[in-house]
This record gives sequence, C-alpha cells and structure tokens, in this order.
Amino acid sequence: MKNIFLADDDADDRMFFEDALKQVSIPTQLTLASDGLELMNNLEAIVEPPPPDVIFLDLNMPRKNGFQCLEEIRNTPKLKDIPIVIFSTTTNVDAVNKTYQHGANHYICKPHSFELLVKAIETVVTLEMWQKPQPPKEQFVLAFA
Amino acid sequence: MPENNLSDAIRELAFQMEEKEKRAAELIIANKELTFQNEEKEKRAAELIIANKELAFQMEEKEKRAAELIIANKELIFQNTEKERRAAELIIANKELAFQMEEKEKRAAELIIANKELIFQNIEKEKRAAELIIANKELTFQNEEKEKRAAELISANKELESFTYISSHDLQEPLRKIQTFASRLIGDESQIVSDTGKEYLLRIGDAANRMQSLITDLLAYSRTTTSERKFETTDLRRIIEAVLSDFKEVIAEKRATIEVGEMCEAHIIPFQFRQLIHNLIGNALKFANPDNLPHIIIKSRNIKGSNGKTQNALTEKEYCNITVMDNGIGFEPKYKEYIFEIFKRLHDKEKISGTGMGLTIARKIVENHNGVIIATGELNKGATFDIYIPAT
Repeated sequence: MKNIFLADDDADDRMFFEDALKQVSIPTQLTLASDGLELMNNLEAIVEPPPPDVIFLDLNMPRKNGFQCLEEIRNTPKLKDIPIVIFSTTTNVDAVNKTYQHGANHYICKPHSFELLVKAIETVVTLEMWQKPQPPKEQFVLAFA
Repeated sequence: MPENNLSDAIRELAFQMEEKEKRAAELIIANKELTFQNEEKEKRAAELIIANKELAFQMEEKEKRAAELIIANKELIFQNTEKERRAAELIIANKELAFQMEEKEKRAAELIIANKELIFQNIEKEKRAAELIIANKELTFQNEEKEKRAAELISANKELESFTYISSHDLQEPLRKIQTFASRLIGDESQIVSDTGKEYLLRIGDAANRMQSLITDLLAYSRTTTSERKFETTDLRRIIEAVLSDFKEVIAEKRATIEVGEMCEAHIIPFQFRQLIHNLIGNALKFANPDNLPHIIIKSRNIKGSNGKTQNALTEKEYCNITVMDNGIGFEPKYKEYIFEIFKRLHDKEKISGTGMGLTIARKIVENHNGVIIATGELNKGATFDIYIPAT
C-alpha cells in the first residue's frame, strides 16, 4: 500500500488524479490538499500514520505555492527524504530546472488526455528506487503530452 | 823813298800799335765784360743746370704722373665701362622690378578680392555652423526621443511577451480540461456515452487539439519577434540531431530515412534555429507520400553569394546554405510563395493536420537571421527548402 499525498488547487485536476490513481496497478491511499498550507498541515499531523511514499505537488497554489512547500519539506528533518513529484502545467525549461534545484525528484507536465495521465502516474508511483534530488544536467521532463 | 816808307811804316806801326793797344784795352774791357758775362753766364748756366735738373726731375715726375694718369685713365675708362654695364643691368633689373611690382599689385588686388570672398564665405560658414548646431540639438533631441521610444518598445515587447506567454498558458488550461474530460468519456467512462456521443466527443477532442496546436504555434510565432536575438556560432549538426531526437517516434512510425549530409557551422540564434529546423523536418515527415517511405536529406555548406539561387545575394559575401529535401507529396510550383503565408494551407485539415503557421514561423526566423528561404517543389515529387543566411 503506497501512501500518496497530492496538493493541487484545481478541483478538476484533483478529481482526475484520484481517478487515475485508482487505475494504477498497485494499491494506494490518497490524501488530498487543496493548497500548500493544507498540505503542510497534513504533513505535520503525521505522527502515527506512515509518512507519504510520494508527494505530488502542483506549483501554482494560493496561500502557499509549490516552491515554498518544496523548500519547507526539504528543510524538515522528518520529511526531507520523501520523494516529491511536481505535477504542473508549465513546460518552461527554466521553471522545470528550478524545481529540480529546489529538491524535486521528478516533474510531470499535466497531460491533455486521461490515458496519458494514468500512464504517467503509474510510472512514478510504481518506482521503487528514487534518485537523490540533485540539480539536473539535461532537461528531464516527464511530459507525455 | 824807302827812308820815307820806313817812317810811314813806323808811324803806321805806331799807329797800329796804338790802335792795337786801344783795341787791347778795349779787348781787356770787353774781356772783362765777357768774363763778367761769362761768370754771369756760368752762374746762369749753373742755375739753368739746376733749373734744368729741376725741370728734368719735374719732367720725370710729370711723366710718372702722366703714366699714372694714363693708367688711372684706363682704370677709369674700365670702371666707366663697368659702370655703364652695371647701369644697363640696373636698368633691366629696374624694369624687372617695375614689372614685378605691377604683378604684385595685381596679386594684391586679387588677394583683396579673395579675402573679401573668404570673409563672405566665413560668414556663410558661421551661419551654417549655427544652423548645424540647431540641427544637432534637434537631432540630439530626436535621438533622445528615439531612445525613449526604443525603451518603450523594449518594455512593450517584454510586456507583450509575458502577456502572450500568460495568455497562451491560461488558454491552454481550459483546453486541457476539455481534452481530458473528452478523453475520459471516450475512455474509462465510455459506458455512459452512446456511440454517437463518442463520435462527437472525438470531434470535440480533435477541435481542442487543433486549438492547442494553434496556441502553441502562435506562441512560437510571437517568440520569433519578441525574443532576444543572441547570435552564436553553432555546429548545425547538434541542432539537427536534437530535432531528429524530438521526432524519434514519428520517424520510427513512418519508417523514414533521414540522411544528414555535410554540415557546417553557422552564426545563428540557437533557440530560434531549432524551431526552424523542427518545423521543416516536421513538415517533411507530415507531408510524406503514402506510396513510398519518406526519405529526407538535410545538408549545409558555405558558399559565395553568386552560387546561390537567390538574386539578391551580394556576389562576394559568404553565405551558409542549409537544404531540407524530401520525397513527399510536394506542391505545385505556383504555390512556392503562398505556402509561407500565415494560416494558408494546401490541404484539407481533415486529411493532414496543421495550423498553417509552420512555414510562416520558419520564414520569420530566417528573416531574423537576415537570410532568405526558398521553396522548390513539384506535385508528388517532393519539396526542397533552401535557406541562405549570411555567414557573419
């Protein structure tokens, strides 16, 4: 059972993600947050339940955006090693690089088809080994778009 | 007689004797007189001798003097001659000087005129200088205005660029929702939709995809005009290979053969040039002939202007000529300019997709590089695109 956290301010995208996650080949459990603040609150509340296996993070959110969350998570001892996948709309290379520089493990560009979304989430969620977050040498965008 | 003769004789003799004695006495007186006269004469002779010596001496002196005078005279005559020559020369010299004096006066008169002329021109020049100063101030002012305008344009451009980016980004979001929901209704939620519904949804999806292509292309087009133009000398092979890598799947799917020939370096804006090649190769793949496997040739070379196909090239300037050639469906030669126009297509959008912007963007990029792009083709015989950009 993989414990997945998602922070996204768009209700439709949250719904797509939830439905896509249901189609993934392994069992998962999803905790949703509608912005960065809610996500951090959810993460702080973790004492007993196991920490998330993957955090999916949108970038453009009110109150607390993706970059702020990224920095906070990476600076929190109990959270800093959790794999983080940025889940956003931008294809701008500089923005993508910035996420890696701030400690993201992967970047998924929100696809234009549900099928592709399922594929992307499947690939990421079933990963067993995660590379340590590092500044990227080449642009590495898991776009599928 | 004889004793009368003798007494006559003796009386005669006595008489003669008396006579003689008278004469002797006279003679003695005369002699004394003579002697005295003689002494006088001798004195006089001595005086005369002295006087004569004196005269002789004076004569000598006079002759010396005469000789000297003769020499002096010759000298004077000579000097006279010299003086006359000199006088003659001086007369000539004088005439010469008089002539030169006239010339100088003419010259002086001309110089006075020339001086007046120069003074006049100087005044004109000062007027002109004053006008130029005013004109300069005007130009400086206009320059400042132009710089303000340029700064405004740069800032407006930046605004436009971010506006374009944001709009395209914001337009894409609802589009994405349309596409994703449509894809769900065709895919995992298809059970709630009738067959007709699914067909309609497919067409909704297609329309949405077309809109997405349009937004992407419009963004790319606006980037060619607003983005920074930094030229770099780049190995074209790298760009070609990157673009071919982007098209990996399509190339495999269409079983296309790509031939990358001779490649050279060129002075280009890398980001824009990549877009250009992307569009050309994309077209070459898209407009493939269904009857044969696509074969695309890409090559580049450095040439001098006179060898190229364009008439406007300067003969001696160096150009880089990039060629993308395919064996696809080609086009009728009469459309060689038409295909570059914005939103103009030669094909039904149902049969072959496209926004009609690919070549428009390509040409804009080539123009940004101060070059030209020329299309040649024939229906069903493929198309060739030649790009010429200056080497420097």
